[in-house]
Amino acid sequence: MKAWLKVFKDGLSIENPLTVLMIGLCATLAVSTQVQGSVFMGIAVIFVLVMSNALIAMFRKLIPNEVRIPIFIVIIASFVTVVDLFMKAFFPPIYAVLGIWIPLIVVNCIILGRAEGFAYHNTVWLSVADGLGMGLGYTTVLVGLAFIRELFGSGKVDLFGATILRMPGAYEPPTILMLFPGAFIIFGFIIAFTRWLNQRSATRKGA
Amino acid sequence: MSVLSHYMLLFIGAALINNILLTRFIALCSFFGISNNMNTAIGMSAAVVFVMMMASTTTWLVWKFLLVPLNVGEFLYIPAFILVIAALVQFVEMYLRKYSPVLYRAMGIYLPLITTNCAVLAAATEVAKPGFFKMAMTYNYTLGEALIYTLGVAVGYGFALIAFTALRERLDIAPVPKVLKGTPISFISAGLLSLAYVGFAGWFGL
Repeated sequence: MKAWLKVFKDGLSIENPLTVLMIGLCATLAVSTQVQGSVFMGIAVIFVLVMSNALIAMFRKLIPNEVRIPIFIVIIASFVTVVDLFMKAFFPPIYAVLGIWIPLIVVNCIILGRAEGFAYHNTVWLSVADGLGMGLGYTTVLVGLAFIRELFGSGKVDLFGATILRMPGAYEPPTILMLFPGAFIIFGFIIAFTRWLNQRSATRKGA
Repeated sequence: MSVLSHYMLLFIGAALINNILLTRFIALCSFFGISNNMNTAIGMSAAVVFVMMMASTTTWLVWKFLLVPLNVGEFLYIPAFILVIAALVQFVEMYLRKYSPVLYRAMGIYLPLITTNCAVLAAATEVAKPGFFKMAMTYNYTLGEALIYTLGVAVGYGFALIAFTALRERLDIAPVPKVLKGTPISFISAGLLSLAYVGFAGWFGL
């Protein structure tokens, strides 16, 4: 398998930032009340991750080891500012939902973690592949969690102004799923499920 | 309302009702990362109280006397605040190592981690930049209010972290189904703990 394809796939599955590495949890649990907001959050994270990974990989030979963290943070903060102003200008309703989580992408551990752990030691193309894989892995789990919460917590799923899925009429949505305890509990079960899947595929490969 | 009760409400609102960990999901990485040992949890909480107070004071001053007069606040606040916090943490670490080895031993290892602790950036931006926490709320904190609010946030963080650590230590010896062992059961019990915080909502009309 080509190296960049493997890097891309690892981000989606066995090195998934949310369910396996358990980083970047804060924003995930907070914005996952709506599918639509989660999609935009995912796009914002993919953009910042890919751009900062690419830029850091490009300059990795020039960045001195002692001051690398402040340099990474400045690079990341610039791209986050781009996203912040862009969303505020063109998607104000979505910006109002996501609120403080867009500026807080700066301190999202996924991005600094990948800059430090991957982009600083790899070529530009590999880093872009890693950013895309990690970003998509993040977005998949985030949108999945939001889908479960919105479907069972409010009885229907809205996306771009249209209702795409609705529960039967007699269904009474438990509001607890939309509140914060619901996020913790559902995410706990999602981790348990992915762990069970990984264990099962590992034992099958062994047999 | 008297001044004292105004400050009390600000403190309680920040510490319990809008608890930064369990009702606003900020700084969850550290919440799950370090809550498996009581000593670590206490050390981290102390370091967070210390750094957060200093960070909020600095960002409040930077916003008021640097970003607003230069009219660059709206698009430079993210890099400015995160750099201020990163530099501050670095200085605190160097100062403690040189002048207070006892304190450094107690919380030195947590200091670098705090730079990427979203709670510090969130609280520091909230008190400095009006209208950050809720879009509609463009409330200017005075420096005194900013400090009380930040203290509330930090104490609420420490309290929730220590409570959860105590809970997790018990979970280690409890009979839990095999697939749920470890992280999944921690998340589910964090959910139950945050259920308790739902009960605080609406107290004192906050």
